[in-house]
Amino acid sequence: MLKKKGWFTLLSLILTVSVVLAGCGGNNNNAAKSNTGNTGTTENTATKTDDSKETKELTFMYRGGTDEQAAYKKVVEKFEADHPNVKVKIIVTAADQYATKLKASITGKSIPDVFYFESGDLKAYVNSGVLLDLNSYIEANKDINLDNIWKYGVDLYRYDGTMAGQGNIYGMPKDVGPFALGYNKTMFEKAGIPLPDKDKPYTWDEFVKVAQQLTVDTTGDGKPDQYGTGFNVQWALQAFVWSNGADWIDSTKTKVTIDDPKFAEALQYMADLQNKYKVTPSTEQAQTLDTYQRWMKGEMAFFPVGPWDMSTYETLPFDYDLIPYPAGSTGKSATWTGSLGIGASAKTKYPEEAVALIDYLTASKEGMEALVKAKVQIPNLIDMATEWAADTSTKPANKEEFLQIVNDYGRVLPGHYTYNAEWYNLFFTDIQPVIDGKVTAADYVKSEQPKMQKLLDKAIEQEEKSKK
Amino acid sequence: MTTSNLYRKEKIYGFLFILAPLLGLIIFTLYPMLYSIYGSLTDWDGLGQMSFIGLSNFTDLFTDELFHKAVFNTLFMMLGIPIGITLALLLALGLNRGARGTTTFRVIYYVPVISSLAAVSIMWNWAYNGDYGLVNQFLDLFGISGPNWMANKYTVKPALIIMAVWKGLGYTMLLYLAALQSVSRTYYEAAELDGANGFQSFRHITWPMVRPVTFFIVVTNIIGGSQIFTEMNIMTPTGGPEYASASVVFYIWQKAFGSFQMGYASAMAVVLGAFIFVVTLIQFRMNEKSSFDVD
Amino acid sequence: MSHSRKRNLTSTIIFIVLLIGAVFMIGPLLWMLSTSLKDKQDVFALPPVWIPSPFNFGKYKEIWEAGPLLSGIKNSLIIALSVTVVGTFTSSLAAFAFAKLRFPGKNKIFLLMLSSLMIPYPAVMIPQFFIFSKLGWIDTLWPLIVPGLFGNIVMIFFLRQYLSSVPNAIIEAAKIDGSSYFRLYSSITFPLIKPAIAAQLILWFMGIWNDYLAPIIYLNSPEKQTLQLVIANFNATYAIQTDYPLIMAASIISLLPMLIIFLVFQKQIIESVAISGVKG
Repeated sequence: MLKKKGWFTLLSLILTVSVVLAGCGGNNNNAAKSNTGNTGTTENTATKTDDSKETKELTFMYRGGTDEQAAYKKVVEKFEADHPNVKVKIIVTAADQYATKLKASITGKSIPDVFYFESGDLKAYVNSGVLLDLNSYIEANKDINLDNIWKYGVDLYRYDGTMAGQGNIYGMPKDVGPFALGYNKTMFEKAGIPLPDKDKPYTWDEFVKVAQQLTVDTTGDGKPDQYGTGFNVQWALQAFVWSNGADWIDSTKTKVTIDDPKFAEALQYMADLQNKYKVTPSTEQAQTLDTYQRWMKGEMAFFPVGPWDMSTYETLPFDYDLIPYPAGSTGKSATWTGSLGIGASAKTKYPEEAVALIDYLTASKEGMEALVKAKVQIPNLIDMATEWAADTSTKPANKEEFLQIVNDYGRVLPGHYTYNAEWYNLFFTDIQPVIDGKVTAADYVKSEQPKMQKLLDKAIEQEEKSKK
Repeated sequence: MTTSNLYRKEKIYGFLFILAPLLGLIIFTLYPMLYSIYGSLTDWDGLGQMSFIGLSNFTDLFTDELFHKAVFNTLFMMLGIPIGITLALLLALGLNRGARGTTTFRVIYYVPVISSLAAVSIMWNWAYNGDYGLVNQFLDLFGISGPNWMANKYTVKPALIIMAVWKGLGYTMLLYLAALQSVSRTYYEAAELDGANGFQSFRHITWPMVRPVTFFIVVTNIIGGSQIFTEMNIMTPTGGPEYASASVVFYIWQKAFGSFQMGYASAMAVVLGAFIFVVTLIQFRMNEKSSFDVD
Repeated sequence: MSHSRKRNLTSTIIFIVLLIGAVFMIGPLLWMLSTSLKDKQDVFALPPVWIPSPFNFGKYKEIWEAGPLLSGIKNSLIIALSVTVVGTFTSSLAAFAFAKLRFPGKNKIFLLMLSSLMIPYPAVMIPQFFIFSKLGWIDTLWPLIVPGLFGNIVMIFFLRQYLSSVPNAIIEAAKIDGSSYFRLYSSITFPLIKPAIAAQLILWFMGIWNDYLAPIIYLNSPEKQTLQLVIANFNATYAIQTDYPLIMAASIISLLPMLIIFLVFQKQIIESVAISGVKG
């Protein structure tokens, strides 16, 4: 049966180790408490006011790809060097996990002092007292010139209690993320096709024609191994819908409008790129090697480019540049400009320092220079951005397109306007059959509209309640 | 010391000794359970608001397509249970014949069981990679070009099932082996003398003997399977293509901690709890019956 | 004669089938190990290479810098050890009381505990989260430790079963001798059921070590995360860079302790698992 001696040794070993570790654990937790202590109630240091020698610890929670994480880490280190009495504890997650992590922290009342949040959550966070009103701090800071920061970005984080887009500032844009269209310049030159005009967008027909010319079978196995394009519907459909004069939601932000024929036309066009014109890899092919990888291998003529891609695209084996998206029936190009806000917890122990960190990351020359150098975003400061875009020696040459999107034709994603984005997300959850050509766009929008409307009504109802 | 005095002392100590688990049960299970039920009747958002709204969370569940999908996915993945049970029983029958290296086989088959689900999920996620994954390279040996398993809504659930079977096989096999070893050899010898073939002795001797443990396995697997979460959280963090791999617990977790709908999430949790309660109750009933049969 | 040859043939076939099965069981894990020893580029070699040459152990150095692996191990150990050690004490004490002491309502309470096993963790996790949030314990290890300290009902159940085979006479005799009730437990009962306790403790330890849902809800800060969360984060962070050797190396590290415990105690573990099925 059992070797009694062995069990006894194991047990006593476990006991010893656990006693030692429990000691460590205790210390660990105590240290953590005095460090974070966001609730402020667990601490009895409240009486001990601003002692300049005291180290103030801020937690900063954010997300991003590895390049972005590293870039921000560096800037935070610089901030610490400039503010010797402030220590910043970093909590960083991959993009997919961020929303649940942050929201669990908020409901768990262990809100980080400074954190990224999506503009769509602004109302919920303000109504429930999560976000600190930054207005007075920003006004007091002489180094910040709001006129020199993209108005688009700052306005996303204004809220007056009823309408987003106006009122006090509850967050600063971490960046603005114009989603431009890129093309493989080397491929065009090799094929002898005239380069696209950077100021005059293709029409939809022209776009298909060029894409067809560039969809070729180079190895002669009967299957193309170079494609015109390969859009991800979730991020590219907006450009086609908007430039066709349609939208997901009406101007009162209470009605889902995807059953508009112009909407269906745009969606159908995207599906046709794959099924009718065959200028994109089929769903099967895209599954073995996704379109992003194909673009990076130089097998794709057109592909979306966001500022955050620049560091990765730096080493592409071909030259690429930016152009406006092909224009639909309005004759105008359209796309979205993303943004993430950086806000502070309303319950932070060190509001001054928290806001100082936000300012440093979003509005200071030093911080911005470091981030732009890391090629993870475009400058938040307009004068710096203009200078940056004027330099055509670095890839992509037409950086100006990014700025035009921010200034001129970029829009915010529809989920921003509503209390939550569930209604909008639902649209993309079931869309694959349309892209695969199994369901027509017209049928899809008809069946999806009532479901989305229901979720939107729910969001509106939830918003009403949260105001009380 | 008198007996009654002794008994009084024993009473006190008896309560004292079970106090900790009893308190734990009340604080961490019973009270939260009641709170879940209460919360499921409110519009609790986790930020402060919690007003009574009757059963409307439950009626919403009837029309929530994502919930239906999550339920369907969770049930679909339980198809792995009969597959795993069949394989495990066959393996156990093989091992029970006293083949060479039984102990070694037992250990090898059990390694996936003790491996952490997180690490195993990470490994399989990589094994299911469309181009360079182990699975497709293996299929390639037979001239089959496999799909990108985790990115295709038709293959993502089968992929998760295969992984679950792989992970749980050793455990089920072990339980069967223990049951089989308790069957006396003399039964088989007698059957052989009577001229019974292999299948007949399986049907009339082996199967009745392993039926109770089969039942136990089915029920624990259903209970475990209805709480599946880790795999999808790691392998398809957004719920998979068209939400094809989101499970009920995954959806509860998203709603509760990802979109401030604690009340709604509680309603789902209550439904899940009720489901498991019913399954366990059935087990008790059936067990009672089968033990009567044996007697 | 032909009969025994047939027997031989069947057992050979069975052996081969079992062998193939074993390859399927262990193959993915070996491949994981092999990947962890490759260069980042060799991972994408077609046809695949099973034995990397040369072995590249670099990733096993890199992982300690690439994420909070060490603190992950420490946190997992703190949780698993404190829970199993204290929890085993409270559980075995309760099992002793349920099996050998007389007090009113004993069976009702025991039945109540057993029926609570029907309540799955997801059904109580939201209110539990709020209890701990009120205490300010989010992003600490306490929510993962404290509930376990109160004992484990499954363990109580099995120990009680095991104790029923211990003759009451021993206990009764000691009672008459006037030894205290705690001594009855500590110096008479505990030594008798030590093997059962140890086996249950190991199973519980493994369960906690491998837990994922509770840690992901409560822990945010990198230095607070358990090992399982740390490797999941490795996966989320480095898969985009396709640094699979790094991810696999970290995962191997997370598997190793359980694997060692299992190989050392495989006989006892397998026995107690087998019992759980028969008794359940």
